[in-house]
Amino acid sequence: MAVKAVSGASLQKTTNYKVILPFYGYATFSLIIGVFLLLLHSGTIVGNTFDQRTLAIVHTMALGWGTMTILGASYQLLPVLIEGELFSDWIGYFTFLFTAIGIPILVYGFYHFDFLNIDLLKTGAILVNIGVLFYVVNVTISSLKSDVRSVHAWYIIIASLWLFSTTFFGLLLVLNFRDPSILGGNSLQFFTIHAHLGLVGWFLLLVIGVGSRLIPMFLISKYVNVRNLWYIFFLINAALISFLVFKLIGWPMTTYYISIGLGLIGIFLFARHIYKAYLVRIRKGVDTLVKTSMFSVAFIMAPLLLLLVLLLLLPSGNANIRLEILYGFTILFGWITAIIYGMTFKTLPFIVFNKVYHNKKKQRVVSKPPAPKDLYNQKVYDTMLIFYFAGFFIFVIGILLNQAIILKVGAIGLLISALLYGFNSIKTIFHQQTEAK
Amino acid sequence: MRDIPTNNKALCDEALVGLYDVYDPEVGLNIVDLGLLYQLDFDESKKTVDVLMTLTTQFCPMGDTITGDTTESLTKSFPEWQINIELTFEPPWEFSKITPEGREYLGQ
Repeated sequence: MAVKAVSGASLQKTTNYKVILPFYGYATFSLIIGVFLLLLHSGTIVGNTFDQRTLAIVHTMALGWGTMTILGASYQLLPVLIEGELFSDWIGYFTFLFTAIGIPILVYGFYHFDFLNIDLLKTGAILVNIGVLFYVVNVTISSLKSDVRSVHAWYIIIASLWLFSTTFFGLLLVLNFRDPSILGGNSLQFFTIHAHLGLVGWFLLLVIGVGSRLIPMFLISKYVNVRNLWYIFFLINAALISFLVFKLIGWPMTTYYISIGLGLIGIFLFARHIYKAYLVRIRKGVDTLVKTSMFSVAFIMAPLLLLLVLLLLLPSGNANIRLEILYGFTILFGWITAIIYGMTFKTLPFIVFNKVYHNKKKQRVVSKPPAPKDLYNQKVYDTMLIFYFAGFFIFVIGILLNQAIILKVGAIGLLISALLYGFNSIKTIFHQQTEAK
Repeated sequence: MRDIPTNNKALCDEALVGLYDVYDPEVGLNIVDLGLLYQLDFDESKKTVDVLMTLTTQFCPMGDTITGDTTESLTKSFPEWQINIELTFEPPWEFSKITPEGREYLGQ
């Protein structure tokens, strides 16, 4: 394949920055709100998984923070993954518009939850579903239009379908609050299905699909193993589908070990994939961003091990609510937050760099443009990591000991890290070129 | 200086002086040592420079910046000339295209 252009015209169209940047900005704001709510209600969330405040925090983090960042990043990286152009920028705008309006309505609905009045929840859920549907359409058409359909493209297509399954099932759960005949039982008993559709089908599959492409790319690694990526793809999907089947049929919880086993093998193969890529890398110096991303791969193991402990306790009726909270916390504030902390400043500065400096020849500049890595402040980033890890581990101890003061201290650490992340994100997004006087 | 296939060695060397200052912003290595340039041809009568080059990956987010900087560098070296850039992925870029100097820079 060859493409020609005269005098620097665009040779391969990448995604317009206007599609991507709103997602990053929105996600940053959501992170700060989510961690602030965690600080505000840290004392009460350990008592009940289905507490309305807990649900508000979970949806702020899962949708506002995790999903919005990943939607933006995947719109940015889709052309690299599918080796083709994004089908439509406009559909990208609509994805943002509907999800950005729907998420706060949904979160507010949970925060002021009322079984008798689910209109807010229903409105928020419908808007989020419309936004996600736009995303699924854009990703699928873009992938089908591309000449190449790589394993990474399949990861992103299937993950987007699981995302829609998650949000659609979430809508059914909301409607089921008023009319339990929709799902044939109490919404709470289906909550784990909704949660794992999102965590495994959307987050895990997408993170593996994108991470297996990006981390070796940033390491400048020669390692390629497409067959291994297909094995992981089938293992993760089999883990999720088997769990859904076992749960819906109502088989004993011991059968869940099969699903967890499949998932664990998939994650182990992914971790091994990244490690092998690391071993044969050309670039010997590995920056903190890639190290954080690699660390997050190890972070995936924590919730899975907790799940095993939970299953051991559940059949005998000794399920510990604190372990359930810990499971959710290690996923949302551990693994997902760590990978986003690691990858944001490996992706966001490039889109801003292109926006600010691509047409620099039209303007007079004082000096050579900075490198993309200079668009954010490394010292602030390093400090952010210290507060993040300290806050995370202190909060984990707080959950285990059920100590309000420890939880508050942990949440303060996480809030400071979120504010520092916000500082660097805003500094990057609003970076301006210095013009000659 | 790296040998790039060309129809005019003298003009190619002149062009490379500037092209050594064109960087892949992510890798931090110049495009000559990175091995992104496949061919540089010159037509003195028509005053055109034909560049055949690649990127480390298809639809590289930095693609426009790299090709834009390449054009800018060549325009500085050859004012009034028309710069034609052709992007190819056949053969695709691979690690063996990095020069020993480039590998040393990357820490190998």
